[in-house]
Amino acid sequence: MKRALLAACLTLLMLSCYYRDSEPFIGNVKFDGTGYRPIYATAEEVAKVAVSTAKPLKTPGKIYTFDRYLFINESGEGIHIIDNADPKNPENLSFISIMGNYDIAVKGNWLYADNMSTLLVIDITDPKSPKVVKSIPNAIPTRNYPSMQGIYFECPDSQKGVVVDWEKISMDKQPKCYR
Amino acid sequence: MKKLIPVLFLGLMAIGLLLILNSCNDNADGDPNPQTGAGGSMARFAITGNTLYIVSDQSLEVYDIGDGGNPAKAVSKNLGVGIETIFPYQQNLFVGAADGMYIYNNSKPNDPVFMSKYTHVLSCDPVVVQGKYAYVTLRAGMTCRPGGGFSSLDVIDISDPTRPAMVGTQRMDSPYGLGVSGNKLFVCEGDKGFRVMDISKPAEPVSKAFYQQVAAYDVIVRNNHLIITGNKGLFQYKYDDSDSIQYLSKIPVL
Repeated sequence: MKRALLAACLTLLMLSCYYRDSEPFIGNVKFDGTGYRPIYATAEEVAKVAVSTAKPLKTPGKIYTFDRYLFINESGEGIHIIDNADPKNPENLSFISIMGNYDIAVKGNWLYADNMSTLLVIDITDPKSPKVVKSIPNAIPTRNYPSMQGIYFECPDSQKGVVVDWEKISMDKQPKCYR
Repeated sequence: MKKLIPVLFLGLMAIGLLLILNSCNDNADGDPNPQTGAGGSMARFAITGNTLYIVSDQSLEVYDIGDGGNPAKAVSKNLGVGIETIFPYQQNLFVGAADGMYIYNNSKPNDPVFMSKYTHVLSCDPVVVQGKYAYVTLRAGMTCRPGGGFSSLDVIDISDPTRPAMVGTQRMDSPYGLGVSGNKLFVCEGDKGFRVMDISKPAEPVSKAFYQQVAAYDVIVRNNHLIITGNKGLFQYKYDDSDSIQYLSKIPVL
Protein backbone atom coordinates (compact mmCIF):
# COMPACT_ATOMS: atom_id res chain seq x y z
CA MET A 1 0.00 0.00 0.00
CA LYS A 2 2.76 2.37 1.06
CA ARG A 3 4.66 1.53 -2.07
CA ALA A 4 1.68 2.25 -4.28
CA LEU A 5 1.18 5.57 -2.56
CA LEU A 6 4.84 6.45 -3.06
CA ALA A 7 4.64 5.51 -6.73
CA ALA A 8 1.52 7.64 -7.13
CA CYS A 9 3.19 10.60 -5.46
CA LEU A 10 6.28 10.24 -7.62
CA THR A 11 4.16 10.11 -10.74
CA LEU A 12 2.30 13.21 -9.69
CA LEU A 13 5.58 14.98 -8.95
CA MET A 14 6.91 14.06 -12.37
CA LEU A 15 3.73 15.22 -14.03
CA SER A 16 3.97 18.59 -12.32
CA CYS A 17 7.40 19.06 -13.87
CA TYR A 18 6.26 18.03 -17.32
CA TYR A 19 7.04 20.94 -19.55
CA ARG A 20 4.45 21.70 -22.14
CA ASP A 21 5.44 24.02 -24.90
CA SER A 22 2.23 25.89 -25.36
CA GLU A 23 0.97 25.47 -28.87
CA PRO A 24 1.31 28.79 -30.66
CA PHE A 25 -2.15 29.93 -31.56
CA ILE A 26 -2.69 31.86 -34.73
CA GLY A 27 -3.90 35.29 -33.88
CA ASN A 28 -6.28 37.68 -35.48
CA VAL A 29 -3.53 39.63 -37.25
CA LYS A 30 -3.23 38.78 -40.93
CA PHE A 31 0.16 37.57 -42.13
CA ASP A 32 1.62 40.42 -44.19
CA GLY A 33 4.62 38.62 -45.69
CA THR A 34 6.99 39.64 -42.93
CA GLY A 35 8.03 37.93 -39.73
CA TYR A 36 10.77 37.70 -37.18
CA ARG A 37 13.68 35.30 -37.44
CA PRO A 38 15.85 34.33 -34.47
CA ILE A 39 19.52 35.29 -34.53
CA TYR A 40 21.52 32.50 -32.94
CA ALA A 41 24.86 32.38 -31.18
CA THR A 42 26.76 29.49 -29.66
CA ALA A 43 26.96 29.15 -25.88
CA GLU A 44 30.68 30.00 -26.08
CA GLU A 45 29.99 33.21 -27.99
CA VAL A 46 27.36 34.24 -25.46
CA ALA A 47 29.66 33.57 -22.49
CA LYS A 48 32.61 35.52 -23.91
CA VAL A 49 33.27 38.68 -21.89
CA ALA A 50 36.06 41.05 -22.92
CA VAL A 51 37.37 44.24 -21.37
CA SER A 52 38.75 46.92 -23.64
CA THR A 53 39.73 50.57 -23.57
CA ALA A 54 36.95 53.16 -23.77
CA LYS A 55 34.56 52.94 -26.73
CA PRO A 56 32.19 55.58 -28.08
CA LEU A 57 28.48 55.25 -27.27
CA LYS A 58 26.31 53.80 -30.05
CA THR A 59 22.95 52.86 -28.57
CA PRO A 60 23.04 53.87 -24.91
CA GLY A 61 20.46 52.14 -22.74
CA LYS A 62 20.11 52.14 -18.98
CA ILE A 63 22.33 54.06 -16.61
CA TYR A 64 23.59 53.56 -13.07
CA THR A 65 25.63 55.81 -10.80
CA PHE A 66 27.80 54.74 -7.95
CA ASP A 67 30.26 56.89 -6.06
CA ARG A 68 32.14 58.88 -8.70
CA TYR A 69 31.38 56.39 -11.46
CA LEU A 70 28.73 56.21 -14.08
CA PHE A 71 27.81 52.98 -15.83
CA ILE A 72 26.11 53.19 -19.19
CA ASN A 73 24.64 50.14 -20.84
CA GLU A 74 25.30 49.73 -24.54
CA SER A 75 22.05 48.01 -25.56
CA GLY A 76 22.66 44.28 -25.79
CA GLU A 77 26.44 44.70 -26.01
CA GLY A 78 27.98 45.66 -22.69
CA ILE A 79 28.88 48.41 -20.25
CA HIS A 80 30.76 51.70 -20.55
CA ILE A 81 32.49 52.75 -17.32
CA ILE A 82 32.78 56.51 -16.93
CA ASP A 83 34.61 58.53 -14.30
CA ASN A 84 32.08 61.24 -13.49
CA ALA A 85 33.90 62.90 -10.58
CA ASP A 86 33.53 66.14 -12.56
CA PRO A 87 30.12 66.04 -14.31
CA LYS A 88 31.35 68.83 -16.59
CA ASN A 89 34.12 66.57 -17.86
CA PRO A 90 33.13 62.92 -17.67
CA GLU A 91 35.97 60.63 -18.63
CA ASN A 92 35.24 57.42 -20.51
CA LEU A 93 37.45 54.77 -18.85
CA SER A 94 36.69 51.35 -20.25
CA PHE A 95 34.21 49.04 -21.93
CA ILE A 96 33.11 45.57 -20.89
CA SER A 97 31.74 43.64 -23.82
CA ILE A 98 28.88 41.38 -22.68
CA MET A 99 26.41 39.81 -25.08
CA GLY A 100 22.77 40.39 -24.21
CA ASN A 101 23.51 42.95 -21.51
CA TYR A 102 20.85 45.54 -20.66
CA ASP A 103 20.96 45.89 -16.88
CA ILE A 104 23.47 46.87 -14.23
CA ALA A 105 23.62 47.47 -10.49
CA VAL A 106 26.50 48.12 -8.12
CA LYS A 107 27.25 47.43 -4.48
CA GLY A 108 30.69 48.32 -3.19
CA ASN A 109 33.28 46.91 -5.57
CA TRP A 110 30.83 44.55 -7.22
CA LEU A 111 29.06 45.21 -10.46
CA TYR A 112 26.14 42.92 -11.31
CA ALA A 113 25.19 42.53 -14.95
CA ASP A 114 22.96 40.33 -17.07
CA ASN A 115 24.47 38.23 -19.84
CA MET A 116 21.39 36.78 -21.50
CA SER A 117 20.06 34.45 -18.75
CA THR A 118 23.35 34.47 -16.83
CA LEU A 119 24.10 36.81 -13.92
CA LEU A 120 27.69 38.10 -13.90
CA VAL A 121 29.55 39.44 -10.89
CA ILE A 122 32.34 41.80 -11.91
CA ASP A 123 35.05 43.15 -9.62
CA ILE A 124 35.43 46.87 -10.34
CA THR A 125 38.05 47.67 -7.70
CA ASP A 126 40.08 48.92 -10.64
CA PRO A 127 37.44 50.36 -13.02
CA LYS A 128 39.97 50.47 -15.82
CA SER A 129 40.35 46.73 -15.71
CA PRO A 130 37.17 45.12 -14.40
CA LYS A 131 37.27 41.36 -13.87
CA VAL A 132 34.48 38.79 -14.02
CA VAL A 133 34.70 36.81 -10.79
CA LYS A 134 31.55 34.77 -11.02
CA SER A 135 28.86 33.78 -13.46
CA ILE A 136 25.59 32.25 -12.37
CA PRO A 137 23.83 30.45 -15.22
CA ASN A 138 20.02 30.45 -15.56
CA ALA A 139 19.71 33.21 -12.98
CA ILE A 140 17.38 35.32 -15.10
CA PRO A 141 14.56 33.56 -16.90
CA THR A 142 14.56 34.87 -20.47
CA ARG A 143 11.81 34.69 -23.03
CA ASN A 144 12.23 32.74 -26.18
CA TYR A 145 10.14 34.98 -28.41
CA PRO A 146 10.31 38.53 -29.74
CA SER A 147 9.10 41.36 -27.51
CA MET A 148 6.63 42.66 -30.08
CA GLN A 149 3.04 41.52 -30.14
CA GLY A 150 0.71 40.78 -32.99
CA ILE A 151 3.56 39.37 -35.06
CA TYR A 152 4.59 36.09 -36.67
CA PHE A 153 7.96 34.53 -35.99
CA GLU A 154 10.00 31.48 -36.80
CA CYS A 155 9.83 29.10 -33.84
CA PRO A 156 13.22 28.97 -32.13
CA ASP A 157 15.21 25.76 -32.40
CA SER A 158 17.53 25.14 -29.44
CA GLN A 159 19.63 22.84 -31.64
CA LYS A 160 20.80 25.92 -33.52
CA GLY A 161 22.08 27.69 -30.40
CA VAL A 162 20.95 30.45 -28.09
CA VAL A 163 18.58 33.12 -29.44
CA VAL A 164 20.34 36.43 -28.92
CA ASP A 165 18.12 38.68 -31.00
CA TRP A 166 15.34 38.83 -33.57
CA GLU A 167 15.36 40.33 -37.04
CA LYS A 168 12.41 41.29 -39.15
CA ILE A 169 12.55 39.78 -42.62
CA SER A 170 10.17 39.10 -45.47
CA MET A 171 8.89 35.53 -45.50
CA ASP A 172 7.23 33.53 -48.28
CA LYS A 173 5.42 31.25 -45.89
CA GLN A 174 3.57 32.13 -42.74
CA PRO A 175 5.75 30.96 -39.84
CA LYS A 176 4.25 28.64 -37.22
CA CYS A 177 4.73 30.89 -34.22
CA TYR A 178 2.62 33.92 -33.40
CA ARG A 179 2.17 36.23 -30.47
CA MET B 1 42.01 25.99 29.76
CA LYS B 2 39.05 26.82 32.01
CA LYS B 3 40.57 30.20 32.72
CA LEU B 4 40.55 31.03 29.06
CA ILE B 5 36.78 30.67 28.66
CA PRO B 6 35.77 33.99 30.27
CA VAL B 7 38.50 35.72 28.25
CA LEU B 8 37.18 34.20 25.04
CA PHE B 9 33.67 35.14 26.02
CA LEU B 10 34.61 38.74 26.69
CA GLY B 11 36.56 38.84 23.44
CA LEU B 12 33.55 37.64 21.46
CA MET B 13 31.32 40.18 23.19
CA ALA B 14 33.73 42.94 22.29
CA ILE B 15 33.78 41.87 18.65
CA GLY B 16 29.97 41.68 18.62
CA LEU B 17 29.69 45.14 20.13
CA LEU B 18 32.14 46.54 17.58
CA LEU B 19 30.10 45.02 14.76
CA ILE B 20 26.91 46.54 16.10
CA LEU B 21 28.47 49.96 16.56
CA ASN B 22 30.02 49.76 13.13
CA SER B 23 26.71 48.98 11.47
CA CYS B 24 25.16 51.99 13.19
CA ASN B 25 27.97 54.13 11.95
CA ASP B 26 27.25 53.10 8.36
CA ASN B 27 23.78 54.54 8.57
CA ALA B 28 24.69 57.65 10.49
CA ASP B 29 25.04 59.96 7.51
CA GLY B 30 21.40 59.78 6.56
CA ASP B 31 22.03 58.11 3.23
CA PRO B 32 20.15 54.86 3.60
CA ASN B 33 22.66 53.01 1.53
CA PRO B 34 26.10 54.49 0.99
CA GLN B 35 27.40 51.24 -0.45
CA THR B 36 24.98 51.05 -3.34
CA GLY B 37 24.31 53.37 -6.22
CA ALA B 38 21.23 54.49 -8.07
CA GLY B 39 19.70 53.35 -11.30
CA GLY B 40 17.08 54.85 -13.56
CA SER B 41 13.37 54.08 -13.54
CA MET B 42 13.71 51.65 -16.44
CA ALA B 43 15.93 49.30 -14.41
CA ARG B 44 15.27 45.60 -14.04
CA PHE B 45 18.00 45.37 -11.37
CA ALA B 46 17.76 47.03 -7.98
CA ILE B 47 19.80 46.72 -4.81
CA THR B 48 18.65 47.56 -1.31
CA GLY B 49 20.98 46.75 1.57
CA ASN B 50 22.28 43.26 0.99
CA THR B 51 19.65 42.20 -1.49
CA LEU B 52 19.73 42.22 -5.27
CA TYR B 53 16.34 42.18 -6.97
CA ILE B 54 16.03 41.22 -10.61
CA VAL B 55 12.80 41.27 -12.53
CA SER B 56 12.68 39.00 -15.56
CA ASP B 57 9.86 39.00 -18.04
CA GLN B 58 7.67 37.08 -15.63
CA SER B 59 9.34 36.75 -12.25
CA LEU B 60 11.05 38.50 -9.38
CA GLU B 61 14.40 36.90 -8.60
CA VAL B 62 15.90 37.67 -5.20
CA TYR B 63 19.60 37.26 -4.39
CA ASP B 64 21.36 37.73 -1.08
CA ILE B 65 24.55 39.69 -1.74
CA GLY B 66 25.76 39.92 1.86
CA ASP B 67 28.85 38.34 0.38
CA GLY B 68 29.05 40.62 -2.65
CA GLY B 69 31.23 38.35 -4.76
CA ASN B 70 28.97 35.38 -4.15
CA PRO B 71 25.28 36.11 -4.71
CA ALA B 72 23.08 33.43 -3.16
CA LYS B 73 19.61 32.84 -4.54
CA ALA B 74 17.06 33.62 -1.84
CA VAL B 75 13.73 33.21 -3.58
CA SER B 76 11.97 33.48 -6.90
CA LYS B 77 8.44 34.84 -7.22
CA ASN B 78 6.30 34.24 -10.22
CA LEU B 79 4.56 37.45 -11.21
CA GLY B 80 2.69 36.97 -14.43
CA VAL B 81 3.74 38.37 -17.76
CA GLY B 82 5.32 41.45 -19.22
CA ILE B 83 7.31 42.62 -16.21
CA GLU B 84 9.33 45.70 -17.12
CA THR B 85 10.86 47.57 -14.20
CA ILE B 86 11.52 47.59 -10.45
CA PHE B 87 11.75 50.56 -8.10
CA PRO B 88 12.48 50.09 -4.39
CA TYR B 89 11.12 52.76 -2.04
CA GLN B 90 11.35 52.49 1.72
CA GLN B 91 9.61 49.24 2.74
CA ASN B 92 8.19 48.46 -0.65
CA LEU B 93 9.13 47.29 -4.11
CA PHE B 94 7.21 48.79 -7.00
CA VAL B 95 7.18 46.58 -10.06
CA GLY B 96 6.09 48.03 -13.37
CA ALA B 97 4.45 45.52 -15.70
CA ALA B 98 2.68 45.59 -19.02
CA ASP B 99 -0.66 45.23 -17.27
CA GLY B 100 -0.15 47.29 -14.16
CA MET B 101 1.93 47.96 -11.08
CA TYR B 102 2.65 45.40 -8.39
CA ILE B 103 3.53 46.39 -4.83
CA TYR B 104 5.61 44.05 -2.69
CA ASN B 105 6.52 44.66 0.92
CA ASN B 106 10.19 43.91 1.50
CA SER B 107 10.48 44.37 5.25
CA LYS B 108 11.98 40.91 5.03
CA PRO B 109 14.36 41.69 2.16
CA ASN B 110 14.92 38.08 1.15
CA ASP B 111 11.24 37.25 1.02
CA PRO B 112 9.11 40.05 -0.45
CA VAL B 113 5.41 39.74 0.22
CA PHE B 114 2.77 40.63 -2.36
CA MET B 115 0.59 43.55 -1.23
CA SER B 116 -1.46 44.59 -4.21
CA LYS B 117 -1.69 45.09 -7.92
CA TYR B 118 -2.88 48.24 -9.55
CA THR B 119 -4.24 47.31 -12.95
CA HIS B 120 -4.87 49.41 -15.97
CA VAL B 121 -4.75 49.14 -19.73
CA LEU B 122 -1.86 47.36 -21.41
CA SER B 123 1.19 49.53 -21.94
CA CYS B 124 4.80 50.01 -20.89
CA ASP B 125 5.11 51.35 -17.39
CA PRO B 126 8.09 52.48 -15.39
CA VAL B 127 7.22 53.79 -11.95
CA VAL B 128 8.86 56.10 -9.41
CA VAL B 129 7.66 56.87 -5.89
CA GLN B 130 7.93 59.76 -3.49
CA GLY B 131 6.02 60.20 -0.26
CA LYS B 132 2.51 58.81 -0.64
CA TYR B 133 2.38 58.93 -4.42
CA ALA B 134 3.60 56.74 -7.24
CA TYR B 135 4.09 58.23 -10.70
CA VAL B 136 3.64 55.84 -13.60
CA THR B 137 4.05 56.54 -17.28
CA LEU B 138 2.03 54.56 -19.77
CA ARG B 139 3.34 54.56 -23.29
CA ALA B 140 1.17 53.57 -26.18
CA GLY B 141 2.96 51.78 -28.97
CA MET B 142 3.40 48.64 -30.97
CA THR B 143 5.49 46.65 -28.51
CA CYS B 144 3.64 47.91 -25.47
CA ARG B 145 0.05 48.30 -26.36
CA PRO B 146 -1.19 46.67 -29.53
CA GLY B 147 -3.97 48.59 -31.15
CA GLY B 148 -2.97 52.12 -30.18
CA GLY B 149 -4.49 54.19 -27.43
CA PHE B 150 -2.72 57.16 -25.98
CA SER B 151 0.14 57.75 -23.57
CA SER B 152 -0.31 59.14 -20.11
CA LEU B 153 1.16 59.95 -16.73
CA ASP B 154 -0.83 58.51 -13.84
CA VAL B 155 -0.57 59.54 -10.21
CA ILE B 156 -1.43 56.79 -7.75
CA ASP B 157 -2.00 57.23 -4.04
CA ILE B 158 -0.05 54.43 -2.36
CA SER B 159 -0.39 55.59 1.26
CA ASP B 160 -2.14 52.26 1.82
CA PRO B 161 -0.01 49.86 -0.25
CA THR B 162 -2.74 47.24 -0.12
CA ARG B 163 -5.17 49.64 -1.81
CA PRO B 164 -3.48 51.79 -4.45
CA ALA B 165 -5.86 54.34 -5.95
CA MET B 166 -5.47 56.55 -9.01
CA VAL B 167 -5.87 60.22 -8.18
CA GLY B 168 -4.89 61.80 -11.47
CA THR B 169 -4.01 61.16 -15.09
CA GLN B 170 -2.85 63.35 -17.95
CA ARG B 171 -1.74 62.93 -21.56
CA MET B 172 1.93 62.51 -22.43
CA ASP B 173 3.64 62.36 -25.83
CA SER B 174 5.76 59.24 -25.68
CA PRO B 175 6.97 58.71 -22.13
CA TYR B 176 9.77 56.32 -21.17
CA GLY B 177 11.67 56.70 -17.89
CA LEU B 178 10.98 59.26 -15.21
CA GLY B 179 12.58 60.67 -12.10
CA VAL B 180 11.33 62.46 -9.01
CA SER B 181 13.00 64.66 -6.41
CA GLY B 182 11.52 67.25 -4.07
CA ASN B 183 8.91 69.26 -5.95
CA LYS B 184 10.17 68.23 -9.41
CA LEU B 185 9.10 65.39 -11.63
CA PHE B 186 11.08 64.71 -14.81
CA VAL B 187 9.63 62.72 -17.68
CA CYS B 188 11.68 61.33 -20.57
CA GLU B 189 9.63 61.58 -23.74
CA GLY B 190 11.94 59.56 -26.02
CA ASP B 191 12.92 61.36 -29.24
CA LYS B 192 10.33 64.03 -28.51
CA GLY B 193 12.32 65.48 -25.62
CA PHE B 194 12.56 65.97 -21.88
CA ARG B 195 9.78 67.33 -19.69
CA VAL B 196 10.13 69.19 -16.38
CA MET B 197 7.06 69.15 -14.15
CA ASP B 198 6.21 70.82 -10.88
CA ILE B 199 4.75 68.64 -8.15
CA SER B 200 4.41 71.19 -5.36
CA LYS B 201 0.96 69.66 -5.22
CA PRO B 202 2.14 66.04 -5.43
CA ALA B 203 -1.14 64.68 -6.79
CA GLU B 204 -1.26 67.26 -9.58
CA PRO B 205 1.91 67.44 -11.68
CA VAL B 206 2.04 70.56 -13.85
CA SER B 207 4.16 70.70 -17.00
CA LYS B 208 6.60 73.63 -16.72
CA ALA B 209 9.19 73.16 -19.46
CA PHE B 210 9.77 70.90 -22.41
CA TYR B 211 13.24 70.49 -23.94
CA GLN B 212 12.81 69.15 -27.45
CA GLN B 213 16.54 69.03 -28.16
CA VAL B 214 17.14 66.56 -25.30
CA ALA B 215 16.28 63.08 -26.58
CA ALA B 216 15.58 61.20 -23.37
CA TYR B 217 15.06 57.53 -22.61
CA ASP B 218 15.87 57.41 -18.91
CA VAL B 219 17.01 59.76 -16.15
CA ILE B 220 18.73 59.63 -12.78
CA VAL B 221 18.02 62.53 -10.44
CA ARG B 222 20.42 63.16 -7.58
CA ASN B 223 21.30 66.30 -5.65
CA ASN B 224 19.98 68.76 -8.25
CA HIS B 225 21.84 66.83 -10.91
CA LEU B 226 20.26 65.12 -13.92
CA ILE B 227 21.87 62.29 -15.85
CA ILE B 228 19.90 61.59 -19.01
CA THR B 229 20.40 58.95 -21.73
CA GLY B 230 18.84 59.03 -25.11
CA ASN B 231 19.61 58.15 -28.69
CA LYS B 232 21.95 61.14 -29.03
CA GLY B 233 24.08 60.13 -26.06
CA LEU B 234 24.40 60.88 -22.38
CA PHE B 235 23.59 64.40 -21.20
CA GLN B 236 24.15 65.95 -17.79
CA TYR B 237 22.35 68.98 -16.43
CA LYS B 238 21.92 70.70 -13.13
CA TYR B 239 18.73 72.36 -11.99
CA ASP B 240 17.55 74.63 -9.19
CA ASP B 241 14.20 75.86 -7.90
CA SER B 242 13.40 77.48 -11.22
CA ASP B 243 12.03 75.31 -14.01
CA SER B 244 15.09 75.63 -16.24
CA ILE B 245 17.95 73.19 -16.51
CA GLN B 246 21.60 74.11 -17.12
CA TYR B 247 23.81 72.09 -19.41
CA LEU B 248 26.90 70.48 -17.87
CA SER B 249 28.26 68.03 -20.43
CA LYS B 250 27.51 65.30 -22.92
CA ILE B 251 28.98 62.08 -24.15
CA PRO B 252 27.71 61.97 -27.71
CA VAL B 253 26.75 58.92 -29.75
CA LEU B 254 29.34 58.41 -32.48
